Amino acid sequence: MLDVLHSLLFSTLDAAPALIFAALGAVLSERAGVIAVGMEGMMRVGAFCAAVAALTMPTPLAVVMGMLAGAALAGVHGFLSIRWRSDQVVSGIALNLVALAGGTFLLESLYGPNGTPPIQQLTRWHIPGLGSVPVLGALSGHSAPTYLALLLPFAFQGLLTRTPLGLRLRAVGDKPQAVATLGLSVPGLRWGAVLGSGLLAGLGGAVLSTAVLDRFEQHTPAGLGFMALAAMVFGRWTPVGAFLAAAFFAFGNALRIGLVSSAPGLVELIPQGVLLALPYLLTLVVLTLQGQRSSAPAALGTPYEQESR
Amino acid sequence: MPERVRQMLPSVLSVLLALGVCWALIALTLEPGTATDAYLQMLWGGIGNWPAYLDGAAATVITRPLGESAMKAAILTLTGLSVAVAFKVGLFNIGAQGQMLLGALAAAVMGAQVSLPGVLHVPAALLGAALAGAAWAGIAGLLRIYRGVHEVISTIMLNWVALSLVDNWLVVGPLRGAAEGGQSITGTAEIQATAVLPRLLGEGSRLNLGFPLALAAALAVWVWLTRTRSGFETRAVGLGAEAARAAGIPVARRMGLAMALAGAMAGLAGAVLVLGTEGRYPGTLGAPYGFDGIAIALIGNNHPLGATVSALFFGVLRAGGTRMQLLGVHKSFPELIQGLALLFVAGRMVWLALLRRRNVAPAASAEVPRA
Repeated sequence: MLDVLHSLLFSTLDAAPALIFAALGAVLSERAGVIAVGMEGMMRVGAFCAAVAALTMPTPLAVVMGMLAGAALAGVHGFLSIRWRSDQVVSGIALNLVALAGGTFLLESLYGPNGTPPIQQLTRWHIPGLGSVPVLGALSGHSAPTYLALLLPFAFQGLLTRTPLGLRLRAVGDKPQAVATLGLSVPGLRWGAVLGSGLLAGLGGAVLSTAVLDRFEQHTPAGLGFMALAAMVFGRWTPVGAFLAAAFFAFGNALRIGLVSSAPGLVELIPQGVLLALPYLLTLVVLTLQGQRSSAPAALGTPYEQESR
Repeated sequence: MPERVRQMLPSVLSVLLALGVCWALIALTLEPGTATDAYLQMLWGGIGNWPAYLDGAAATVITRPLGESAMKAAILTLTGLSVAVAFKVGLFNIGAQGQMLLGALAAAVMGAQVSLPGVLHVPAALLGAALAGAAWAGIAGLLRIYRGVHEVISTIMLNWVALSLVDNWLVVGPLRGAAEGGQSITGTAEIQATAVLPRLLGEGSRLNLGFPLALAAALAVWVWLTRTRSGFETRAVGLGAEAARAAGIPVARRMGLAMALAGAMAGLAGAVLVLGTEGRYPGTLGAPYGFDGIAIALIGNNHPLGATVSALFFGVLRAGGTRMQLLGVHKSFPELIQGLALLFVAGRMVWLALLRRRNVAPAASAEVPRA
């Protein structure tokens, strides 16, 4: 029994970071008032660039390249939606489409259909003494992003709720006019948040191709960017909430995969498709129950115009 | 410059720019000559190889590609209409993909498990698909109207619920077709001959009834929006829900009906795919035509006829895309052109600013597509 729990926990901790980073990125962007439907595309670009960069440079540096690539795509999003006040959903969806088809095209014309050549994975850290402890031992033996993913949500939560910068970020998503009245730059803050969300989504993608896998695959990230949105909503737009939701979804997924191999009888009873739909169904239920009292930022999706006080 | 032209210009320029950028992409990753060849292959693959035909080749070098283009254009038109109709009432329907899956499944079930005479079977299956799509979109509509849940989030969630439930449960479980001739099949059972959309140009071309059907749907939506009272009210709600409410327009009903109609269009797209070309709900529906609908609608300026034109254009490119494979360019390349075009259309304000600076015309009405 303990063994099962140990391996479940271990695979959750391996798979969850990508989702956690993307969910945090989505929270950052949306709390500042910019809708984050482009997460999927930014993750894909991050994953692709990290996998390609890792062919010629040390893997940790390649992860940074992936992050920068995610931020570059976020820069396009910012240019259109902040500078030119385009519809944020349209620009996000456009980036998803471009990243999806562009990734396939580049992969095919540079490396062939089977993905990029394998790369050196990120090193796994073994915490001395922890490995032999039952259940808790699952904490040992992961790569750096896993540990970052366990700490970052709390740091982010602290930043958002306890610092002046956090207050301004939240204000810019709830009532940008108030922020402008204080003499602060609304576009500046939103740019920061959008670029930050690009870095985080790029990191999430890079983790997929450098820690979870050892290459960029055709379908990466296979909808994880949208699941990150679900985690964000489920976690009521708070960093720790989104983290818990992402961890819960990842655990559920690990459980599902475990069940398929160890207890096929149960999967017969509750079909896999229903289990796969569960995160999204739960999110819909939460949204329905919250209704108007939803915790979404008040000015989410509204482009800011200086003149519209 | 007439207002109508000015409205269309950003879309046209965006598509041209996307074509140029993508040409440069192939030229950089492969070779400039290859890029031009690939574009020519795409063209001949889309509208038919006219040079070969004029040199005396069989007529199928024209009819086969045209059939493929028409088939893709029909589906893109319907999903584009789905997004455009929702836009007109002020809702952003990202859920066309999920609604299409449900429609496709309904058409596959109606086509295979219901026995009806030929004249009735196709309409019944189409109706079933439209209702299934409408119901799925209706969930998002109701959540928006009664619970204030933003439709962008709810339709994204509904897409994944539909995908998981249909592809990973129903189609591999309860609705999986029985083995044929000792070989197990993927997907649902094959639809009966009476439910197949009739081919219009014989067996050499896959052009089927779905194409005129999609064009008729676009025309009907346009007439409804511009020539009827409820269509006018729908547009009024989209332009300003509060003002519409003050004018006595039943806002909730208009929103609900427009969303249901959007879902019905996406459902029909699924039906055209299943009844026209696939013959069953395959293991997985493949191309994300529902997401393409967003690009089609916005490039078409959210106008039913504009969406049709953009669907025809990208239908041709998409059908031609398969021929680019010969030159080492992935067949999804036209999707990249389409995605970039959408990205450039999203920068509509940039275009308008550029155009204004050029010819100091009276300020263009900056009608931005709004969610």
